[in-house]
Amino acid sequence: MAGPPIHLLLQGVGFELIYSFVIIMCSLMIYYSTKEMYELSSDKGIKYFRQSFLLFAIAYFFKSFIKVLLAYFGTSRILDINLKYMGSITLFIFMFFGSLAVFYLVYSLMCKKWNGKSKIILGVFYLLSVLISFIIINTREVGVFIGTSLFILAIAIFGIYITHKQNKDKKKKSKIHLIYTLLFIFWILNIIEVLVNFTYLYQILISLASLGVFLAILYKVLKKSGSN
Amino acid sequence: MKKRGRLEIIKDILKIIQENRNSIRQTPLLRKANMSSSKFKEYFRELLEKGFVKETKGNSGEKTVTLTQKGFDFLERYKTIVSFIDEFEL
Repeated sequence: MAGPPIHLLLQGVGFELIYSFVIIMCSLMIYYSTKEMYELSSDKGIKYFRQSFLLFAIAYFFKSFIKVLLAYFGTSRILDINLKYMGSITLFIFMFFGSLAVFYLVYSLMCKKWNGKSKIILGVFYLLSVLISFIIINTREVGVFIGTSLFILAIAIFGIYITHKQNKDKKKKSKIHLIYTLLFIFWILNIIEVLVNFTYLYQILISLASLGVFLAILYKVLKKSGSN
Repeated sequence: MKKRGRLEIIKDILKIIQENRNSIRQTPLLRKANMSSSKFKEYFRELLEKGFVKETKGNSGEKTVTLTQKGFDFLERYKTIVSFIDEFEL
């Protein structure tokens, strides 16, 4: 059987794979280094915080898979791959886990304020993730895709700033809301980049910035959880 | 007075047991915990279920509450957990 074509490496798939691998490793380290704290505290915030990074790891795995597919089939759009719906299914899984990761992180910030309605809100987030994924694979419109991504971003930023405003009176002020905002913005750019054909340089810039945000969160988690 | 959160209440109950040479009966524990009987029962059940405390029969046949290793671990990690929750605004 022939190996992967040489243009796979030339189109930056090698870089994409290394980048995704580092982000997946960061996410899994965040997930596992908070395991003991969650087991001891059973704190809902910690639970959904760590689960959101597990979902990010899954989403990034599928993102790198999409990049390999794009390079392999020599197309610039995942929906142009017609191999038994392979492109659509992969995109659906990527969008579902990606949206859910964002919603889980928002939920981890808000769950204590939503006590009592938590199951309904979580159900709404699942429903939204499925709906967004369906819209994306069925419309095949870049405008709809960007609009949907911005809708996820709006929910995420709304969640962050509501929580931050309520926590303002606490003695110690955390700058984590800025890191969350950057995480969400670069995640949305990562999503858009899958369907919209950006220049290679722009893709690298998004990747490096996302990597920086994940490393910053990992550093904070390791420092605060006493795992370093 | 500021209302205590769930983790703080658990820490307070475990701390009372620890400061009582790791052995205390339920009634004085309830009194020192400074909470309603129904709330205390709720928390006490959770502590037993999570394996933070265990009930043992003393020489006099009275049931006493003691901390398990997991209970000691919680007390040791309490500040880290709270600081983590604060830092990430969870």
